[in-house]
Amino acid sequence: MPSLIWLQGATDNGCTISFLNADQPDVPQILSKLDVEVVFHPTISPWSGPRALEAIAPYASGERPLDVLVVEGAVQNGPDGTGAFCLVGKRPLKELVVELAPHAGYTVALGTCACFGGIAAANPNPTDATGLQFHHEAMGGLLGPGYRSKAGLPVINVPGCPAHPDWLSKTLGSLLLGMGDLIELDQYNRPKMFYRSVSHWGCPRNEFFEYSCSAQSFGQNGCLYRYLGCQGPDTHADCNRRLWNRQSSKTRVGSPCLGCTEPLFPDAGAGHFFQTEKRLPVPKGAKPLFHVIGKGFDGMACPAWVKEVARD
Amino acid sequence: MTSVLDISPITRIEGHLDFRVEVDDGKVTDAWATGALFRGFEIMLQGRDPLDALVFVPRICGVCPTSHQIASVKCLEDAFGATPPPNARLVRSILLALENAYSHAAHLYVLFGPDLTNEKYAGHRLFPELVRRFAPFTGSSWLTAVAAKRKLNEAYAVLGGQFPHSNAFVPGGVTCRPTPSDLVRVTGILLEVQDIVERIVLGGSVERWLENRSLTDVQAWLGEGDHADSDLGVFIRIGPELGLHQIGAGPGNFLAYGVYEQADGTPWLKPGFYDGEAHPFEQLHITEHVKHSWYVDYTGGKHPSQGETRPFYTRDGEKYSYAKAPRYLERPAQVGPLARQINDGDALVLDLAKHLGVNAFTRMLARLHEEVRLLAQVRTWLAQLNLREPFYERTPVPPRDATGVGFTEAARGALGHWIQIEGGKIANYQVITPTAWNVSPKDYLGQHGPVEQAVIGTPVSDESNPVEVQHVIRSFDPCLACTVHLIRGKRTVATVTLDA
Repeated sequence: MPSLIWLQGATDNGCTISFLNADQPDVPQILSKLDVEVVFHPTISPWSGPRALEAIAPYASGERPLDVLVVEGAVQNGPDGTGAFCLVGKRPLKELVVELAPHAGYTVALGTCACFGGIAAANPNPTDATGLQFHHEAMGGLLGPGYRSKAGLPVINVPGCPAHPDWLSKTLGSLLLGMGDLIELDQYNRPKMFYRSVSHWGCPRNEFFEYSCSAQSFGQNGCLYRYLGCQGPDTHADCNRRLWNRQSSKTRVGSPCLGCTEPLFPDAGAGHFFQTEKRLPVPKGAKPLFHVIGKGFDGMACPAWVKEVARD
Repeated sequence: MTSVLDISPITRIEGHLDFRVEVDDGKVTDAWATGALFRGFEIMLQGRDPLDALVFVPRICGVCPTSHQIASVKCLEDAFGATPPPNARLVRSILLALENAYSHAAHLYVLFGPDLTNEKYAGHRLFPELVRRFAPFTGSSWLTAVAAKRKLNEAYAVLGGQFPHSNAFVPGGVTCRPTPSDLVRVTGILLEVQDIVERIVLGGSVERWLENRSLTDVQAWLGEGDHADSDLGVFIRIGPELGLHQIGAGPGNFLAYGVYEQADGTPWLKPGFYDGEAHPFEQLHITEHVKHSWYVDYTGGKHPSQGETRPFYTRDGEKYSYAKAPRYLERPAQVGPLARQINDGDALVLDLAKHLGVNAFTRMLARLHEEVRLLAQVRTWLAQLNLREPFYERTPVPPRDATGVGFTEAARGALGHWIQIEGGKIANYQVITPTAWNVSPKDYLGQHGPVEQAVIGTPVSDESNPVEVQHVIRSFDPCLACTVHLIRGKRTVATVTLDA
């Protein structure tokens, strides 16, 4: 029976709440049909107090094999390097992570905070928080660039604020069903099967992006990129193809993408969430001059009816 | 004989909580609640664009982000002088109700319910039944609750885009513009949830439960049809047998800010402060204390608009929590479904409190009752949406300097946000969460926080398994992810000393 320990650091529990929405397989199926033994999870563990921590001990010593370690939330080093801003059973969380990680078959960082620091490490990073193996874009974090789990992999990063339940459940499922070696990781150690595309792909407003038909205020059908701060073209995630809660996505209800799966979230978007700066935004890596000229021509080529729908 | 029990960590709550109780002669004689996580949102928000608050503040809590979104958007609207159209108010209330409904369900089954299967009750005649229903990961109702939670989040996503952490809430309204198709879909999902609630929770119709207006009515309800065999029926039968009606009173003060704006802007559940008598709510009566909290001391209490928070961790002296101690008229106050229903004047909850007293049992019944009320009410609000009218209206150009407040209620109780904008940037942002009210440590007058007070006096039959204390703590549904603390002035954290 594969064993799983789930720890929480500086987190809002959003990734746990999101993961409870997993389906195909859902959480009960993962637990009962894939036979995962949850040794510890702060929100659902039956036991409190010393008993909960005693359960962890044999895995921390290596006496019993730990198949998967999931860490949700950033690891705080503050105050003064002690880690005391986050205590689990009177011990700093960071000590527990450092003890368990070398024994884990796979280590998964769940959510942008655990991966890169995220909201917890936003400027000026008041609690000296960091990710498990990255600090924002730089490899390092708590465990250092050289860390490898027993299976020989670095920390598998599953970012998102929160992470989509599929991104974890399908990662876990791959590990449990013996496909761990087939999970390809990108430069930030995110599984490519979720993070190779951007959330712009599959957005129903693509037609309006195409023809430079921009929504100028909320409630219009046009593209949210030009004026309303949408970061869809630069955000690696499959939100608009996978859909959230089997229903929708941010841009489908007229809300801009915030770029929450990226290593520099939230500071990269700060100051222009919900509002784009005056200049014409250019997707990362695109050639600015050609993009601007192209968008100009696209606008001229736009069918009248598309313009009409965009303004609606 | 006096002994001290450390229950650390408390699991099956949201966030990091440690609890220390002193037990003398099988009874709790003193209690210390320790909020064990500091995140420092206040410090991050200073100097940022006011709209950034809409992204940062909801991430205080992934369990109840909508309540924070609504409080922050109201805060900004107050500062900007903006008014949302009636449709936007209704959508916000619908989404908040869907959030609170899932949160109550998750609390009842995932967080509170498993304690009913504690080994202490192994000899009870209903124990096999409790395990069959409420055991974590395997109980029939536990499994159904996870499915119902997912459905409520799905209904939410139709209008909000996703759950958790939609960002459909903006000053001036909401970003969505639902079609009749969307509303039919939400209704369809709600019907599925109602079916689950009627089959599993009530053993009968929602309408029939809502006819109950007194304890006598509930007793009559229990005798009808399949009600006694429903989860609620079983809980009503077994709660008193387990002694839940004798533990967890807490202070006799109940605070609610008022919540669920209707189309005309008035709240569906009324605000108030109840201490045996009903008083109108006045936000100027709120103060926060830090004498027993890991922050640099100041004298007395401060109103949140004047609040300051400089972390100061020490193992010496009287400080023992990262939670501050909010007080109303210098008194600790309970917040949550019980406080909301009492202040709203709900006939059933008032009668239950009158005849059963305030305790872990009535607190749980109030939450269940609110759950049923919400499910019925959401349908009313859906019907009031006018799809031909706007859901968003452009806001006036925001002033460079302004202050704003935003009040609402999270599943766990009263939530307030305060913002101060200077030169177009956030100068100070203050949040008092419901859990800060409930699990607050002592204040400068030495008064215990509500959960501490509720725990004192609780009998502990087995010190290695203090399940009674856990019943009391969990009956408040604490959410420690939420206990954040706000700083004013400097951008740097004050020097923090640590006792080695």
